[in-house]
Amino acid sequence: MVSLSRRRFLGTAGALAGVLLSACGRDAARRPPPTDAEVIGGLLERELVAGAAVAGVAGAAAIARQDVLHARRLREAAGAMSQRRRSDAGGDLRVALARKQEGVFAYVDSLPRLADPDLRVLVMQLAAGEAAHLAALRIAAGDDPVPDAFAGFSEVPAR
Amino acid sequence: MTERIEELYGTARTDAGYMQAALHVEQVSALAYEVAADGPLEGAERAQALRFAAHERQHAAALETMLFALTVPVREHAGPADLDALLPGLREADRRTSLRGLAALEGAAIAGHQLMGRHLLALDALRTVAAVMAGGAQHLVALRDALGRTPLTFAYETGR
Repeated sequence: MVSLSRRRFLGTAGALAGVLLSACGRDAARRPPPTDAEVIGGLLERELVAGAAVAGVAGAAAIARQDVLHARRLREAAGAMSQRRRSDAGGDLRVALARKQEGVFAYVDSLPRLADPDLRVLVMQLAAGEAAHLAALRIAAGDDPVPDAFAGFSEVPAR
Repeated sequence: MTERIEELYGTARTDAGYMQAALHVEQVSALAYEVAADGPLEGAERAQALRFAAHERQHAAALETMLFALTVPVREHAGPADLDALLPGLREADRRTSLRGLAALEGAAIAGHQLMGRHLLALDALRTVAAVMAGGAQHLVALRDALGRTPLTFAYETGR
């Protein structure tokens, strides 16, 4: 059981790495790596989408307020103001859970691309916060708060 | 207890040292959930503790694999004495004290993972560390809920 889960997790990690590498491609390899501000700017966009999806979900007012704080802090760190339109109207728990999960993936994926140790710690705090939001939303919905040992990473389908 | 884990991380000087500290805490956490499940927790809380113990073993396995990748063999595994050192009194604790101890252990683990975010040189390894940390953050929410604590979440989850 444990070894199976371990293989599954490591396989997922390997598959994720493969996807990331193939996504980069030769052209991408010629480009300079993104700056910390660019990485944080991308996370801000993701945070705004997740925040919009959570707004209006029953029992999620505190989480929505924390999402506003996340976005404010990311905006400060990126030194930019996002103009992106929010894609979700909000109020749908399943959509909110999906967007939050994508947020966790994005925060974790970004870590090796951040040069500033302070920003890495910030992003880890935000990743933990988003993972905690997922658990709290599931509790509010009467679901298992922790269905996966790795906060959803074991469940990523291999590509 | 938190101080003991801080000391453990404080002795780390290399990536392998940080990984070994994190591995030890995950192994002790698995033992702690098993002891709580065999002790004061009952019903759904007992079942959840057993599932969380299995999660902690998966976390430990992932960290152990990273240590192997660093060509560092893992010769020792945490045992009952290590649990007693980090969480003294857990075996005799009542339900609430057990849940509080488990929450403190999860919080200290999260703080340790975030310390690794600052100090690890092998940055790719941070993805696995962060996935373990995120799982721990979800455990912490479930424990806060069981304890009736509010809020369940914080904007910046530091484990503290």
